[in-house]
Amino acid sequence: MTLVNLTGIQAGDFSLLADDHSPEEGAAVAVPLSRLTDEGDDFFKVAGPVGAVLTTDTNHADLAPLMNKLAFVVVDFPAFGDGRGFSLAVRLRKDLGFKGEIRATGPVIPDQALFLLRAGFDTVEVADERAEAFKAALKRFDSFYQTDYTGQVSLAHARHKATEERKAS
Amino acid sequence: MYAYDKYDHALVNARVEEFRDQVNRRVKGELTEEEFRPLRLMNGLYLQLHAYMLRVAVPYGTLNGTQMRKLAHIARKYDKGYGHFTTRQNIQYNWPKLSETPDILQELADVEMHAIQTSGNCIRNVTTDQFAGATADEVADPRPYAELIRQWSTFHPEFSFLPRKFKIAITGADIDRAAVKWHDIGLVVKKNDAGEIGFEVLVGGGMGRTPVIAKTIRDFLPEKDLLSYLEAILRVYNEQGRRDNKYKARIKILVDALGADEYARQTEEEWQKIKDQPIDFPAEEAARIKAYFAPPPLQVLSDDVPAVDELAKKNFLFAAWLQNNTNQHKVPGHVNVTISLKPHGGIPGDATAEQMDLVAALADEYSQGELRISHEQNLILPHVAKKDLPAIWTDLDEAGLGIPNAGLLTDIIACPGLDYCSLANARSIPLAQQLGKRFDDFKRLQDIGPLKIKISGCINSCGHHHAGHIGILGVDRKGEENYQLLLGGSGAEDASKAAILGPGFDENGIIDAVEKVVAVYLGEREEGEEFLATYRRVGPQVFKEAVYDAR
Ligand code: HEM
Ligand code: SF4
Repeated sequence: MTLVNLTGIQAGDFSLLADDHSPEEGAAVAVPLSRLTDEGDDFFKVAGPVGAVLTTDTNHADLAPLMNKLAFVVVDFPAFGDGRGFSLAVRLRKDLGFKGEIRATGPVIPDQALFLLRAGFDTVEVADERAEAFKAALKRFDSFYQTDYTGQVSLAHARHKATEERKAS
Repeated sequence: MYAYDKYDHALVNARVEEFRDQVNRRVKGELTEEEFRPLRLMNGLYLQLHAYMLRVAVPYGTLNGTQMRKLAHIARKYDKGYGHFTTRQNIQYNWPKLSETPDILQELADVEMHAIQTSGNCIRNVTTDQFAGATADEVADPRPYAELIRQWSTFHPEFSFLPRKFKIAITGADIDRAAVKWHDIGLVVKKNDAGEIGFEVLVGGGMGRTPVIAKTIRDFLPEKDLLSYLEAILRVYNEQGRRDNKYKARIKILVDALGADEYARQTEEEWQKIKDQPIDFPAEEAARIKAYFAPPPLQVLSDDVPAVDELAKKNFLFAAWLQNNTNQHKVPGHVNVTISLKPHGGIPGDATAEQMDLVAALADEYSQGELRISHEQNLILPHVAKKDLPAIWTDLDEAGLGIPNAGLLTDIIACPGLDYCSLANARSIPLAQQLGKRFDDFKRLQDIGPLKIKISGCINSCGHHHAGHIGILGVDRKGEENYQLLLGGSGAEDASKAAILGPGFDENGIIDAVEKVVAVYLGEREEGEEFLATYRRVGPQVFKEAVYDAR
């Protein structure tokens, strides 16, 4: 597997915590959300940076209590067509104000690279032979019709930027 | 008409290059068919019974003469010399070669066209009234909004992998010619008491095996809030729409499960959070786009044109065409002309390259260079001076396009059915052809009056049978093609679901049954009453007796 960095974030180096294991002291661990919600403060004290592994059917509201404890989030796509993963990333940025790394895992495809980036993902774990295609796909388009929650403003606004600035000054 | 700026051009060209790369990767085996499938679908490329099929978008059914000539050229060069205009105001080519599809897309991009999002589980080509901007009965031209939605929905980062396909329709007129109530989202342009423009918003309409008429979730949405509100609707659907069963994945099922009130509440709640972000178009952008749809410079002319009346007196077919195939334009002395693609015995919606070229030439000469495609699979010359009608009709008639049946019984919608489609139970096209032959008498058709027959080859309802005054549905009965008869549907502002009348028929039986239904109508109707009104007044029983008792 290769990690493709979409945003240039300092990508986390963590491992998946096995079901029946406790974290080693200071270890960066990714833990399924279902388990994290049951863990008490001790868990977070022992471990280093903790991230949640989310299934795409996660309700973002369930993440709210964990927000100040999570260093990163992994959204695990069961299939590339499961578009809930995109809304989940949007929710993390928009509703929960999450600033940490959001990583996509699972069978996402290179042609989704820009969609992932624009929905709020920072990194994608991909099969080695696909890394190049992912990077190429990132460069495919350079203007966009939608305002997103990563700071990209829609063409509808960009086209009139000069006018808007004039009005503001 | 909208014209691309440098950004639109760059996006569409980049898309062609992306698709060329995808096709290459598929041909080299780097992409499996399973992986290629959603990518080709997002570029309108289907795999059908015999070959690939390419669906090209005609955004909101508006195009110019140059674009129509390009469609003709593509039919000639890459297909078998014809194309099929669809119920979603698009055109389909049935025989393109996979390796040539990137070239087709490049040729389209050269005239500001594309096949983006004409299939796949994304927001599809927005459809609208074929007379938009040219009809007397409209609040405002809906096409600027359709274009704003087109842009907003193109390559949407969050909504390109929805549970299922998503169709939005918009109308600005009192008479709903866009079937907005049968769409995932329907928008009706309205003016409030203060004279401001806004939209009534409906959600959850759809056909398929669970036909549902959309419900209103907001009576008046201000114009400036359109995109953020749509985003809120789509987010609720993307998150909660069912993904475990393809037949329960459309928004109509979610709206039904939650209830329209709850759907409205969740949409409202989400919308409140985002409505002040720069998601919506700024006023300058709305103005920029509206300017492209400024009314064409038509002179006010007299509606009395003696030459037209004279020809109508002499020639019954012209008189019928004048009555059925022309609609009052908002500028006096002008009409919208419907060119019927429903010749008796022909394939509904098909046009040859030569016919497309002729229509393009007529548009350039008589209709401000503009053309439309209707969801009833006909072509429209939207801005025609009445005095030009005799010349236009003569040209059309010579090319087999002067058929005076718009809105009549033989103006049939039929899906591709078993002749092309791998999901079909039964053939649809031959049935439409049979009906055309059985009712090949324009005096009789004229007497029967407005009557919409819609035929689907299976329950997926591509032929809109649920919305037919007379609907015909192909089913499989022990391996035999069988047809169910439905009555009383409507796709218009008075939308209703057609109901099954009784047991199904074989191919000949269904044609006879339609004939009996028509006979009952002719017997029961009151002065000036159209088929649907009579059916609604007298109910199904008389029809049932006539169709089944005589068997
Ligand atoms: C021949 C290949 C085709 C196939 C395999 C196909 C397949 C389908 C399927 C599976 C559905 C049901 C979708 C759902 O309810 O989720 C559907 C609906 C529909 N299709 Fe097609 N279709 C084909 C051709 C066409 C054509 C040529 C047209 C236009 C003339 C068309 C227009 C529609 C429409 C209007 C619907 C109804 C949408 C609704 O349920 O609201 N289809 N099609
Ligand atoms: S209604 Fe059925 S038979 Fe007809 S085109 Fe759609 S899927 Fe095919």
